[in-house]
Amino acid sequence: MESLKLLAGIVLAALVHFVGVRLWPDFARAVDVFLVIVALHGLRGNSLTGLLVGFGVGLLQDTLTSGPSGLFGFADTIVGYVTARLAQRLVIQRATGVLALVSFASALQQAITLGLTFLLLPVPAPLDPVWAAVRTGACGLLGMILYIAGGRWRRTSEARRRGRMSRLRLE
Amino acid sequence: MDERRTGWVLIVVLVGQLVYLAIQGARAGETRIEGIGLRLLGPMARGVASIPAGFQDAREGVKLRGTLLEENRELRREVESLRLKLLRLTDVEGEMLRLGSAVRYPTPPAGRVRAVDIVYVDHTSWLRTLILYTGKEPARKDQPVLSPDGLVGRVFAVAGSYAKVQLITDRVASVGGMILRNRRQGVVRGGSRGNELELDYLPLQADVRPGDKVLTAGIDGVYPRGIPVGTIVSVQPGGQLFHRIQVAPAVDFGTLDQVYLLDYQTVPENLKEASPGGKP
Repeated sequence: MESLKLLAGIVLAALVHFVGVRLWPDFARAVDVFLVIVALHGLRGNSLTGLLVGFGVGLLQDTLTSGPSGLFGFADTIVGYVTARLAQRLVIQRATGVLALVSFASALQQAITLGLTFLLLPVPAPLDPVWAAVRTGACGLLGMILYIAGGRWRRTSEARRRGRMSRLRLE
Repeated sequence: MDERRTGWVLIVVLVGQLVYLAIQGARAGETRIEGIGLRLLGPMARGVASIPAGFQDAREGVKLRGTLLEENRELRREVESLRLKLLRLTDVEGEMLRLGSAVRYPTPPAGRVRAVDIVYVDHTSWLRTLILYTGKEPARKDQPVLSPDGLVGRVFAVAGSYAKVQLITDRVASVGGMILRNRRQGVVRGGSRGNELELDYLPLQADVRPGDKVLTAGIDGVYPRGIPVGTIVSVQPGGQLFHRIQVAPAVDFGTLDQVYLLDYQTVPENLKEASPGGKP
């Protein structure tokens, strides 16, 4: 069930990415939906699945870029692992905590990809601080919204399930 | 699994990826993983790309009759002027062929163009990409990609009906270019800022002016000669030897929705692989 949910999340992220780029050409610069999925999965606290999900999603993301294949795979592997390790050590109860963690994950990913391009590409990637900041903030915000929406959905379905159970007992 | 073992898994995965990246850097080509990703994401991108087209068709359907009539009139005028131009060009071509045969000049074969749809484009981020749906006839690696305005890029990864294109504005892309006015040759590269290009290796003595048109030179083994690349917007002394030249691309990448693949083999494969001093 968990892996199905994850798969659905990745498919949804890809669709949001394609629709976003279609509607607004700067969408890919402003927000990274794939990273949000990796970071939110890392919040569960399992570092092994965190790094593996980061690895897979990153490689998929590499398909959509013209850079060397494995650039985002490498960065997202670290992001998935670090996010999971942080989630193990920190108690994240508020949505603002998720905002901070996903924003940190985005900043970390950008720093790693920038460092890798300096090492691997003949012409290193330019650093646009404004877009980097926008991307960091937007990813954090999207992560927080998804976290709140997921929590509400879980609570509603739990309440519905409990209501159904109590009705069954009365009958 | 305990954290220590997970740490080892992380190290193995990261080292593996670094090796993979290093191998790719040496080969500079398409990878199998990329092909799988393209096959998975390509159909999704194609599905999303077809939705706005549907909306556009519906909008066209309710366009006012008057607007359509005016548009039709304008298009007819354009067709007339293009016919006249074609007539003149056919005459020039005939003359050129006659002169060429007189001096036994082998005319380069004209390429065949094929229209293909764009299913995904990201021309703003620093890793600029274009994904095409080529249908039953797959694209070929290094195949030139054009638009009616000029050169778009080259195919650098193919997976079934999908192909990934490296745009000429990509920072690692380079095209052999020449100035139309004086046939001066240089190398056109993706610029450091946004959708700009740079024309390198033109000596300070070369006569270069803003407004000069830049075409492909046909010297890189990928693109045929004479495709518009862009227009020079600024010329500055870059150093002791060469000019620093900024070029505005001929193509507006933001408005692309269909491109053309050019079937054109410039250098035969066996010649590309042959090296001087190698085995005959």
